[in-house]
Amino acid sequence: MDERSEEGVCELLRQVYDPELGINIVDLGLIYGMDWKEDEIIVRMTLTTPGCPMHETIAGGVKYVLQGQMGFNTVEVDVVWEPPWTPNMMTEEAKEQLGYF
Amino acid sequence: MSRLPFLFIFAGIIGFVLFHVSSLISLVGWISDYLRGPTGWFHIHLIILGWATMIAMGAVYQLIHVILQSKIYSEKLAYFHFGFFTLGVSGLLYGFIRGELLWIAVFATITLIGIFLFAWNMCVTLFRAAQWNAITISTACAVLYLFLTGLSGMAMGLNFAFNEWNTLHERLFGAHIWLGTLGWFGMLITGFSYKMLPMFYLAHGFPTRMQYTTLSLWNLGVLTGAASFLFEWDFWTEWIALLLITLATITYNIHISQVYKHRHKRYPGSGIAWSVYSCRALALFAALMLIYLLRHPQDLLTAKFVTIAGWIYLAGWVAFMILCYLSKIVPFLWWTHKYGSQVGKPGTPTMSGLLGEKGVHIGLSALAFSLLLLFAGLMFDFQTFVLIGGIGFSVFSLGYISLIALVFTR
Repeated sequence: MDERSEEGVCELLRQVYDPELGINIVDLGLIYGMDWKEDEIIVRMTLTTPGCPMHETIAGGVKYVLQGQMGFNTVEVDVVWEPPWTPNMMTEEAKEQLGYF
Repeated sequence: MSRLPFLFIFAGIIGFVLFHVSSLISLVGWISDYLRGPTGWFHIHLIILGWATMIAMGAVYQLIHVILQSKIYSEKLAYFHFGFFTLGVSGLLYGFIRGELLWIAVFATITLIGIFLFAWNMCVTLFRAAQWNAITISTACAVLYLFLTGLSGMAMGLNFAFNEWNTLHERLFGAHIWLGTLGWFGMLITGFSYKMLPMFYLAHGFPTRMQYTTLSLWNLGVLTGAASFLFEWDFWTEWIALLLITLATITYNIHISQVYKHRHKRYPGSGIAWSVYSCRALALFAALMLIYLLRHPQDLLTAKFVTIAGWIYLAGWVAFMILCYLSKIVPFLWWTHKYGSQVGKPGTPTMSGLLGEKGVHIGLSALAFSLLLLFAGLMFDFQTFVLIGGIGFSVFSLGYISLIALVFTR
């Protein structure tokens, strides 16, 4: 698999966790999309709640992982609030871990 | 990350430990004593100002940007606030122990300046953000009531000093207690919970109307009660104020149930689960008190009734809720400070790894049991229950806060 694919990026981003929920941001359904060109990538994502106190740390984690392990020089994290996150966006694994219902 | 919340929380923990150690030294004898004297003033103001208000202010500074998505108006002002408030409260408490009027006067003034700086900072922050919802309105009301509590306290102090308005003193006292306990703490705790509770339950799509109903009823209750004391209205006005507060606790619990129904996380953590139990208990006790007063209206302002109601509300709800939420606030603060920049690196602990769930659950269970014993002792004049419950409350509180404090070593 070419690392610089959306699947490759998402696989790396599974190393970034919401520290309160203990679930990675990909399984939480927080990643909305990404665009990259050469060594620059923009990751469009959201958080579970507006004003989430983990905003900076999670964005920092995304940058750390993509710069350090995928060699992107510039990582921009664009936190958006539309569409609003809902628990339905989680994967089945995440739901199971939370005891989701 | 700002160090401000740390300052308040550390100072608050020190206040908490001092309160419980001094309580144990007196073998909790002060609980049954007449509270309206220097010893009672010392204990009450130590726990109310030295701990609960200190922690609440720290939590406000920590959470305001979560609620508004904007920064506090002035961090510099907030540091001055901390300085004045901590110095003021320390001196005020010393003045109470020594019965030194001048000390009390000077340091009450310093404390009030600290409160004013906080109120100003919050007002500008809230008005600039201009995001008015149940959370921000409740916060604004809470800050206003805190300021009015401070002013009425100052007025009482001035009267002690100059004996200028003795007829007003008792009226101010009633308003002071009402505004501070129900106004400041009631509005702040309910207001912040509107944001925090759904976060920890991962609740979405729940109705918010009960938040507004609660804040309206609670505010009406606070204002009616304060006015009733200030203008010496009759028993029924005071009872209506209690009725409004009781209705507010009921609508607040309905709101909690709605959040619970819309939750997507099975268990929010022991601290939050216990906070819900405390809210349920508050509504029940409030309703029972209301009914009791219908049959025994003469008991409303007796020392015994006020003491019991004060313990149930301040220890059983205000203090207990703060302890519950500390189980989330402190790990979050410390984790962000120490591990926030390590997100994505292997081996970075999660927040839940900083504070054991079992310890929180056991600690809060023991506290709840001790408090119930204490309440029973006060209600039925069982001094043994008061002694055991009071000692248990302090011992388990010290144990619980040690657990919380240990987070800072992880």
